[in-house]
Amino acid sequence: MNTSLRKSIRPGATIGIVHIFFVLIGFNMLVAILFARVSGVKQPDAIPAPVYLMAYSITMGIWAGVAAAQKRKQEFRQVAFAGCVAGGFAGIMAGLLEFGLAIILVKNINVRDVLTVLSANFIKGTLFGMQPAMGVMVTVMLFALGGTLGGALVAFWNSTPFQAFLNRGIRFTKDSVQKAQGVTHGKNRLLWQIASISLLALAVVFLPLNWGSYWNYVLGTVGLYVVLGLGLNIAVGLSGQLVLGFIAFFAIGAYSMALLNAPLPYHLMWGFWPALVLGVLLAAVAGLLLGLPLMRLRGDYLAIVTLGFGEIIRILLKSDVLTAYTGGPRGIQNIGGPTIFGRPFVTDVDFMYLIIGAMLLAMFIYSRLQNSRTGRAWLAIREDETVARASGVNTVRYKLLALVIGAAFAGLAGAIFASRNQFTGPEEHSLMASINVLSLIIVGGLGSIPGTIMGAFALKGLPEILREFENYRLLAFGALLVAMMLSKPDGFIPSRRPKFQIPIQPETREAPKEQDHD
Amino acid sequence: MILNIENINVHYGAIQALKDVSFNLNEGEIVTLIGANGAGKSTCLNTISGILHPTSGRVTFIDEEITNTSPQDIVKKHMIQVPEGRKIFASMSVWENLEMGAYIHSDRSQIKKRIDQVFERFPRLKERRNQPGGTLSGGEQQMLAISRGLMAEPRVLLLDEPSMGLAPILVEQIFDIIREINHNGTSILLVEQNALMALSIADRGYVLDSGKVVLEGKADDLLRNPMVIKAYLGGEAIGSEL
Repeated sequence: MNTSLRKSIRPGATIGIVHIFFVLIGFNMLVAILFARVSGVKQPDAIPAPVYLMAYSITMGIWAGVAAAQKRKQEFRQVAFAGCVAGGFAGIMAGLLEFGLAIILVKNINVRDVLTVLSANFIKGTLFGMQPAMGVMVTVMLFALGGTLGGALVAFWNSTPFQAFLNRGIRFTKDSVQKAQGVTHGKNRLLWQIASISLLALAVVFLPLNWGSYWNYVLGTVGLYVVLGLGLNIAVGLSGQLVLGFIAFFAIGAYSMALLNAPLPYHLMWGFWPALVLGVLLAAVAGLLLGLPLMRLRGDYLAIVTLGFGEIIRILLKSDVLTAYTGGPRGIQNIGGPTIFGRPFVTDVDFMYLIIGAMLLAMFIYSRLQNSRTGRAWLAIREDETVARASGVNTVRYKLLALVIGAAFAGLAGAIFASRNQFTGPEEHSLMASINVLSLIIVGGLGSIPGTIMGAFALKGLPEILREFENYRLLAFGALLVAMMLSKPDGFIPSRRPKFQIPIQPETREAPKEQDHD
Repeated sequence: MILNIENINVHYGAIQALKDVSFNLNEGEIVTLIGANGAGKSTCLNTISGILHPTSGRVTFIDEEITNTSPQDIVKKHMIQVPEGRKIFASMSVWENLEMGAYIHSDRSQIKKRIDQVFERFPRLKERRNQPGGTLSGGEQQMLAISRGLMAEPRVLLLDEPSMGLAPILVEQIFDIIREINHNGTSILLVEQNALMALSIADRGYVLDSGKVVLEGKADDLLRNPMVIKAYLGGEAIGSEL
């Protein structure tokens, strides 16, 4: 019994520490606000009603209870009790914290220089607006209640009848999936493909019209980051060259568009399309020029040099020397948009179509390259550059090609980005943006197209949607990356190379089919 | 003479790795370069295959100077290197590894034929054709690395330490394979630390020490040379084996 008690206290203490951390950064209020949102409060206050904070306490208790009850093959009552103990212990730690907070409140000590969130209102809110002693007691009770609930939940989950029910459900799902696959992979395969593609096309045409401006803006950004991510993926994922300052090529695209198609500083007004083409070309040329001296470098050295290149571009754009030519820190405004068949593009909806087009183009080029002879050469270089050279692969040419095409993708995304926002400035092209792109392809799965889309959505889309979490974005970034690398080291959707499976029977063996254009 | 190396000097920065090294390979021969670690054996191979370029000297391959030719062009002339340490493309399947060996050729049916020939010679590779190269055993990986070299239809095969890290029984198998490849008409330049094995299958040998050729001759003579026995064959033990 003694060891059992100790086993319950340990997860309780962990959750208690997590809770203390959460309170000190004000995360408990945030969760409470989210709860308020979910239950239908339109505009919750900065300190929401006590009920929602209580819900937060119970949630933390449940977490502690679940943590304590896991891996226990005991009776229902014992597991629930373990949960209760864990929750209660976390609650006592929470109570001690609140006791401390109450002292700060009563004695009017100013700690906000260090812990900015700990205002008087915040502390009162954390105590559910009650008297300190009462608040502490309620907290402990709520945590213990949550813990018991959590323990019971786990016990119920592990109980034989529920597991049997679950297994039946899983088997049913598997069977249905298999049946569905039988239908879609049978002789009707082509029909199914046509149907799904036309469905997708319909969605592409009609969804942007109904999303509204905000969603089109958010998803447009995601789409541009998909193009950018695919570009970086050609260099990093396919050919294995770790390029860090990738956003520099994006900046070159954006500034080409800005300088050629804005009233200031030159009033060139070339129009969108010529500026776009030139932006892509200039980015590609920059990729070539950067690549030439880089061809002797590998791994870390390549990463450091490209990092330097990215920073040089940003600082040049920002510097006083070039203020007269590039607008300096203020950037360039009023960049013009495209016109198709006499119809000017102004709204985010219009740009959404343009971005979808760019995305499809990038995806098409990417997948063609990946499955070509060129893609095979890149793969060989990524695996072992020396052996690739010894096998007769022109490694310099293919590495340069990867950089040039990747840079061109980035230039395309940058030019559209500048035109859509009608603005570009040096701070848009900071190191953080490069890191974002690299993170998104790693989180999504190096080298894979669905992975890139997933990663772009997770890293660029989610923060926009969860505006409240804005302050925690970097925290979430870090946590997500660490969790990702631990649980799925290959990313959400790892790259699956087309495998040329050769059947075992020699008489039916045929040469593997493969696109060949090189 | 199919391959002729004349007075090559190779530098890594300020360090001179090869000093006036000359040797040659006749059509149909197995010639071995033996020597201790750091003697410059792999540097020799990398210079011949174009991965390194000498600061001076000449490399001639079938009456054509290839001193400063790029690796891919040398592969196109049907001379290919099998790098040391069983280097294969670990995540590519056995089949894909073999296709990479024929990267410079674009005739699909020809490649297919070559792969069938390789599979005939190495049934083990055929069994494992869909398996990633990295999952093969050490001996099989070396087999694959050599087969990948054969895919380029080499007239000269440059082998860098094929015995490295293999159990003695596997080393013998690999050397049997090398001998067989040679019988089928491919000239072989073999770099080895395992001097006994190398000299026992070679026609001629060169001993490299600190970037210089210190000894050369018929393999049988080298096996009996007191200096070679002392330095590379571990004393007198060799006498009983011959």
